[in-house]
Amino acid sequence: MKTHILSQAKIGAVLLIMANSVWAEQDYSIQELTKPQSTINFGAGFLFNDNARFGQYSGLRDEGFYGIFNVNVLRRNDDTGTWLRIMGRNLGYQNRDIRLEHSRQGNWGYFFEFNQTPRFEPFTAITAVKGIGSSHLQVPTTPTTGDPLRLKTEREIISLGAHKFLPGNFELQLHFRNEEKDGARIFGRGNRLGPPGPTAVGGYEFIPEPINFTTRIFGATLNYNGKDLQLSGGYYGTLFENKNTALTTTGGSSVGGIFAPSLFTPIALPPDNQAHQAFLSGGYSFNPYTRGTFKAAYTIASQTDGFFPTQLTAPGTPSNLHGKVDTSLVQAAVTSRPLSKLTLLANFRYEDRDDKTPVFLYNPNAFNVDLNGNRWNGFNTPRSFTTFTNKFEASYALPMNLRLIGGIDYEHWDRTGTPQTTSHRNHTDELSGRVELRRSLAEALTGTISYIHSDRSGSHFLTNVKATGDPFFNLIAPINLADRNRDKVRLLLNWEPLEPLSVQVAVDQSWDNFDGDRNNSGLGIHKGIARNYSLDAVYTFSEDLQANAWFSRNETQIDQASRTPEPRVPWSVKLENLGTSFGVGMNGRPHEKLEIGTNLTYSDITDKFKQSITEVACCPGNTPVPDINFKQGRWNLFARYALQKNLGLRLDYILDYFKTNEWTWNRWTYTDGTQLTQDTNQLVNFLGLSAYYSWQ
Amino acid sequence: MLNNLEKLISMMLRLLILVFLLGFMQNAMAQEDDSDEEWPDIVLRDDGKCTKCHDESSGNPVLFIGKTKHGTVADGRTPTCTSCHGESDEHMDGDQAIPPKPSRTFGKNPRTSILDRNQVCLNCHQGGKRMHWIGSAHANRDTVCTACHEIHTVLDKVRDKNTQSNVCFTCHKEQRAQINRPSRHPIREGKVVCSDCHNPHGSAGPSMTVRDSVNETCLTCHMEKRGPFIYNHPPVQENCAICHNPHGTTAPNLLKVRAPFLCQECHEPNAHQGSLGTITGAYARNTIARGCMNCHTNIHGSNNPENVRNDRLFQR
Repeated sequence: MKTHILSQAKIGAVLLIMANSVWAEQDYSIQELTKPQSTINFGAGFLFNDNARFGQYSGLRDEGFYGIFNVNVLRRNDDTGTWLRIMGRNLGYQNRDIRLEHSRQGNWGYFFEFNQTPRFEPFTAITAVKGIGSSHLQVPTTPTTGDPLRLKTEREIISLGAHKFLPGNFELQLHFRNEEKDGARIFGRGNRLGPPGPTAVGGYEFIPEPINFTTRIFGATLNYNGKDLQLSGGYYGTLFENKNTALTTTGGSSVGGIFAPSLFTPIALPPDNQAHQAFLSGGYSFNPYTRGTFKAAYTIASQTDGFFPTQLTAPGTPSNLHGKVDTSLVQAAVTSRPLSKLTLLANFRYEDRDDKTPVFLYNPNAFNVDLNGNRWNGFNTPRSFTTFTNKFEASYALPMNLRLIGGIDYEHWDRTGTPQTTSHRNHTDELSGRVELRRSLAEALTGTISYIHSDRSGSHFLTNVKATGDPFFNLIAPINLADRNRDKVRLLLNWEPLEPLSVQVAVDQSWDNFDGDRNNSGLGIHKGIARNYSLDAVYTFSEDLQANAWFSRNETQIDQASRTPEPRVPWSVKLENLGTSFGVGMNGRPHEKLEIGTNLTYSDITDKFKQSITEVACCPGNTPVPDINFKQGRWNLFARYALQKNLGLRLDYILDYFKTNEWTWNRWTYTDGTQLTQDTNQLVNFLGLSAYYSWQ
Repeated sequence: MLNNLEKLISMMLRLLILVFLLGFMQNAMAQEDDSDEEWPDIVLRDDGKCTKCHDESSGNPVLFIGKTKHGTVADGRTPTCTSCHGESDEHMDGDQAIPPKPSRTFGKNPRTSILDRNQVCLNCHQGGKRMHWIGSAHANRDTVCTACHEIHTVLDKVRDKNTQSNVCFTCHKEQRAQINRPSRHPIREGKVVCSDCHNPHGSAGPSMTVRDSVNETCLTCHMEKRGPFIYNHPPVQENCAICHNPHGTTAPNLLKVRAPFLCQECHEPNAHQGSLGTITGAYARNTIARGCMNCHTNIHGSNNPENVRNDRLFQR
């Protein structure tokens, strides 16, 4: 009997424990579901192949091991609503991100962030130029074989910010960002005008630009968030500083007399500049059916970086440009629903960029007649412009959940300036009309079909004149100024033929007809066509298995014409860009402990250059520009296996493929002997194994 | 006596077991209880009436909202379930096996109008960077907030740099193809994301740019192009997008078309400016390597004060 009692006592105790554990598990389960969770992921990956493209922005370029380290610590004090987040991403790579956030939700907060982004030049330079990365280069005077060099720039950004909610629905926000960009990028100098004449091949030298930039963005915003009225006003400042004012060289080719490349020193580098903006934007709900928004801003930008020391300045030139550009912006919009079925929108935007930079004569030599019989001027060229953009749209509800939308857009540009090496017109106006039929709220089929037509025209083109005062060629209207008619059709359909299947079809096509010539020259841009087709499908096999696939075809075509040097033979070219892309992906959980996902994307893109002629008497030895093809593919695979509920392993595999016949640098050797090369067929394998652990 | 004691103990133990069993069963059965008794809140204020049916095992799991900012109840501004889904009396009172839907629904095939759904979010999120939502291209095209944002999950894909672009590509198919072109921003690496340049909630700029113009947006990262310079290249100041496509191109440096063809869209065919595209011969210098920029190297503008004639031509 004693045994029996003990046995029963044991059962009771077990049940008590079970019951307790059930309750505890319920509490734990709820906590698990509702409390923020932290995770850490660490391990190592191996890159099996050197490459230039796959690791262009991540630093995964050289074969070898790389650390995998990601962390996301997320804590919340439920009593106070205080959050702490420490996030580290790609800490083992060169493109790492670190962010710390601490905030009391609805009260105050601050953050600190560090971002690092490298950019590796995909081409390797074989060069004997010395001093690359600095502002003074030693350039060989004759072609010289050099050593391989991989140019690189890197951005390191530190950001800080804070916010505080204030009484009366106010919030103050402060932000500061400092970016250091260092390295060197492809740059060069050259001149076609070497002896014995204008048809000679000049000298060209590889002189990488030193990048040593500091960019700062900072500001303060005071927000007011009322029920009907919201306001946001403040200050936004930007500063740019380049440690190098000019790029100087020693050495270099002396071929070409006064036009020899070696004389192209110093070369100006981007000057320091800054801008300061005061702004106020707001929104007001007049009633539940009518709301207005606006933004007003005034920006003062200046560029007063001191000119680099030189003996060759014209008399009377200042010590810096005294550049000053003031920009005013006013934007306002009203949206209203005067009838339950009718919605109206009106939007107005005005921007005035007033370049107040004083004009000086920097270059008296420019008045000399050049080899083509032209005379220019040596004044600096401040440019101002004013734009008005207006939009009106009406939307009316029709039966069957359809809406009919009509809209008119109008854009007007006023530009200052005079024609120099291109034609110029002071005003352009563009008027667009749009009609659209849309079905947004339906169970199986939603979509949009729209048609847009726009006309751009403008004031008469100003006449370019030669040194003699006679009219210059005046043959081409620049692409951004030319008269243009544009027609565009868009179709977007979302279809769910079956519960687990959704299909999306997107088609758009546009036709641009330019009046790109002047004086009936037949030159300039004539026509542009763009076509984009895509088909997407998503299939949900079960809650644990989903798949998707997509296909896109993108085509652009530009028809334009120009005219060769003497004997001035007109020629035309049809530029085509044809891209085919597709992707397939799948995510699944075949076992409660195993989660897998895979994604494959592939693009095949071809540039075609269909020129009407390839050879003229002026310029023997031409080879038509060959088509350029790029093939780019990537296969991602991941698997997560849970060893415990909060501990597991993760496997990542990436196969990246890049192939091209691009000829950009193939036949080019700089006068100093520098050549640029790339591996035209890159296949990269990356395998990573890491552990993850999560906690609350 | 001993036997009686044993019987008593045995009985008490059985009773104890029974009580625990009943207690456990009641606890277990509580999940299915549909009585009118008030249920304790689990995540949000007043969520008991919802969470008595909706947990993570239900067809509409809801509890993950507790991990999010919306689930931070210490912040008195955070919503209740009914703030977003409406009072939903019919939904809660109905005794049908499949109850009517809540007053406002946001998921698949919702019956709530897009304006009403968005208004729920705008009731709290109308200020700051969302000031210009009404009237924006997305609002005008019937984009619903929940088309991009996931409310009940801690990982809102559109707010994560690694996954944001895929959300945008749900509609922007052309850009999905363009980011895989050889000249591109590091979008695939999550180092530049769509919202670095565009404010999807509307802005005073064209194409919903985060700053007031295309150029001001580009300058946030490429401020060295701002100038003004002594010699300015007019399209640079007017609109970067005249020459560049920021979403990706096959020509180097995000140029829409290669030189010399790009330059010939504006420049008079004075002499060499009109040369044929060729990869051999004298005029290959206008096509290969940097093309026209082999000579006109400072193409965005030159701040060179020297009085040598070619300064104006961006050659130094």
